[in-house]
Amino acid sequence: MGERSVHLDEQSQVPPGLIHFAALDQVLDLARANSLWPMTFGLACCAIEMMATGAARFDMARFGCEVFRPSPRQCDLMIVCGTINKKMAPAVATLYDQMPEPKWVLAMGNCAISGGPFVFPGQYAVVEGVDKLFPVDVYIPGCPPRPEALIEGFLELEKKLTGKRRWPVAAAPQSD
Amino acid sequence: MTFENLKLYLTGIAAMVAPPAPPVIEGAEPAPTPAPVPQIAETDHAKRGTDLEVTVPADKVAVASHIMDNAGYVLEAITGVDWLAENQFEVVYDYTLWASGQRVAVRARIPRDNPVLPTVSAIYPGANWHERETHDFFGIQFEGHPDLTPLLLPEDATFHPLRKDFGT
Amino acid sequence: MSIEAQTIHRETFVLNLGPQHPATHGVLRVKLTMDGEYIEDAEPVIGYGHRMHEKMGENRTYAKYLPNMGRLDYVAALFNSHGYVCAVERLAGITVPERAEHIRVITAELNRLASHLLWAGAFLIDLGGFTPLLYTFDDREHILDLLESVTGARLTFCYYRFGGVGNDIDDNFIVGTRAFITRLRSRMPMYHALITKNIIFRKRCEGIGPISAETCRKYGASGPVVRGAGISYDVRKNEPYSIYSRFNFNVPVYHEADCMARYKVRMDEIIESMRIIEQALDQLPSGPVMAEKVPKMLKPPKGDCYFNVESARGVFGVRLVSDGTDKAYRAKLRSPCFSNMSLFRECSQGMLLADALALLGSLDLVIPDMDR
Repeated sequence: MGERSVHLDEQSQVPPGLIHFAALDQVLDLARANSLWPMTFGLACCAIEMMATGAARFDMARFGCEVFRPSPRQCDLMIVCGTINKKMAPAVATLYDQMPEPKWVLAMGNCAISGGPFVFPGQYAVVEGVDKLFPVDVYIPGCPPRPEALIEGFLELEKKLTGKRRWPVAAAPQSD
Repeated sequence: MTFENLKLYLTGIAAMVAPPAPPVIEGAEPAPTPAPVPQIAETDHAKRGTDLEVTVPADKVAVASHIMDNAGYVLEAITGVDWLAENQFEVVYDYTLWASGQRVAVRARIPRDNPVLPTVSAIYPGANWHERETHDFFGIQFEGHPDLTPLLLPEDATFHPLRKDFGT
Repeated sequence: MSIEAQTIHRETFVLNLGPQHPATHGVLRVKLTMDGEYIEDAEPVIGYGHRMHEKMGENRTYAKYLPNMGRLDYVAALFNSHGYVCAVERLAGITVPERAEHIRVITAELNRLASHLLWAGAFLIDLGGFTPLLYTFDDREHILDLLESVTGARLTFCYYRFGGVGNDIDDNFIVGTRAFITRLRSRMPMYHALITKNIIFRKRCEGIGPISAETCRKYGASGPVVRGAGISYDVRKNEPYSIYSRFNFNVPVYHEADCMARYKVRMDEIIESMRIIEQALDQLPSGPVMAEKVPKMLKPPKGDCYFNVESARGVFGVRLVSDGTDKAYRAKLRSPCFSNMSLFRECSQGMLLADALALLGSLDLVIPDMDR
């Protein structure tokens, strides 16, 4: 997790397989996956759907991630919901750098994935996707994505952390 | 101030234009050149959204603002329009009177090469931000404005994106 | 040393509020010059949510610009659409059929309810009370279910078309809306007991953040901000548009001009909006929901016009300049949050920081609406 965002030169690479606590790693991953602490980072419209996901009907707390921390020092998940402006980009990058390892990024919404509906020839204000600034773990498309889509994004992230999906993917309804 | 009085005051500072030429009649004496008339007209609110439209010379926008302020109007919006073909910017000030819902639009045209207008932010403090935004988008300089740094664009922006020749 | 000879050394410091902050409702930055806990100067720095809407108005055809309107003030997206389609209809001379006008009013007022409920929850979070958010979002989800069944979207609606609306409403929607209004009416006493009578809320809001009527006029503020300052200005009454003149509703006005007055205006507006929806449902005629003979590629005649609507946040206006082609020559969007925010610098001088945040919350800002 850490190597993606920290630039290591060859001499300071951590040799693979130096210390492995297999079962302990799995437990730690499970603990991390079930207690992701997101940063309150609502930029635009998707922020409202993120708030709705945290509210009573969709209830992010079931997955352990209702603890929204405003301070980047205390969270490990940055849900980038909304458009990243060129004026805002340095602040976003600073916030990402301030988050301690291990950290993950969820790009929620079309604007965070690729600039969304605000990309046109001659556009002057929008960064076309948050992965132009730092690496993203899960992309959630939609404009805005439904709260269920955000929850699916959490499940994908949990699967990325633990290797196992919490709930099976819903089967498509049988058509008669 | 009644609406009629307001019209009188605004007529006093309106820009003067030549009226439409009368039709030429064959064989008759050519008509004398008609005198210029003030560019002010009552409009149909249902069709234009305003009750009164007046065009003032660029240096009179602050005077117009004073008149509107004395009449109790609110400055709702300042719109810049880039008329590239005519090499002019147009700035439209939209005023409204809360009690009656009447609207007055005050327009001014400035040359594109030297877009300068007096500020109205001393009269309407709300115009401070509207003028900064118009400056951001068009590069129009508002004389006497306390702080024309970019508002919506990054602080170091030097481009004016809503100009019609932006990006070309 | 005598008391007179001792000088008290005072220093001000600059505190940066935002652009990432839980109380800034988006990406707003305020450069605060603080004397301890008191604000000497608060300079808002905006533009962190600028998404080039006015430039896109010139690049996109009139119909392709409709989705942008949903992303302007996304909490009350239908009002932006309403203002824009009415401005284009005014320019192009399109008349909207009666049923479509009623549907527009019903959906817009439902959106106003959703917006005020969201504001109430977010305002209380700013003040530190987390509980009301869960209740208001629950009611809001019912509204979003209704609107989703008709428009297909939960948040950034793109439902109005030039000459009418996109879909017709069905009986499920009508029955569901009436049931929801009954439910919300029965929940209002709970909200008043939970929030309005709460002693901490009252101490945080009563007498805090005064904005005088003259300040409102000078800055062009609108909406609940001016109605909380004693000015009875509501575009639906003073400059009626659509079919609002047919409905019987009051405009709540309070004179204290503090945060509590602005809160009470919005809570009363919830009651009034429910009255408007019920009357519109009662008077709903049958008929088409789209005007006939509206060209697919709309080219309004040359000219310009202005149209403004009473959005949940204030007066949203569109100044549209057409040059006869299929794209607008200039689409100026007059945002209510822009003017409401511009008075923050003057009104927050000398306030405690916590009170300034209460004032900021009571202005009901949506930053992408301000920055466009």
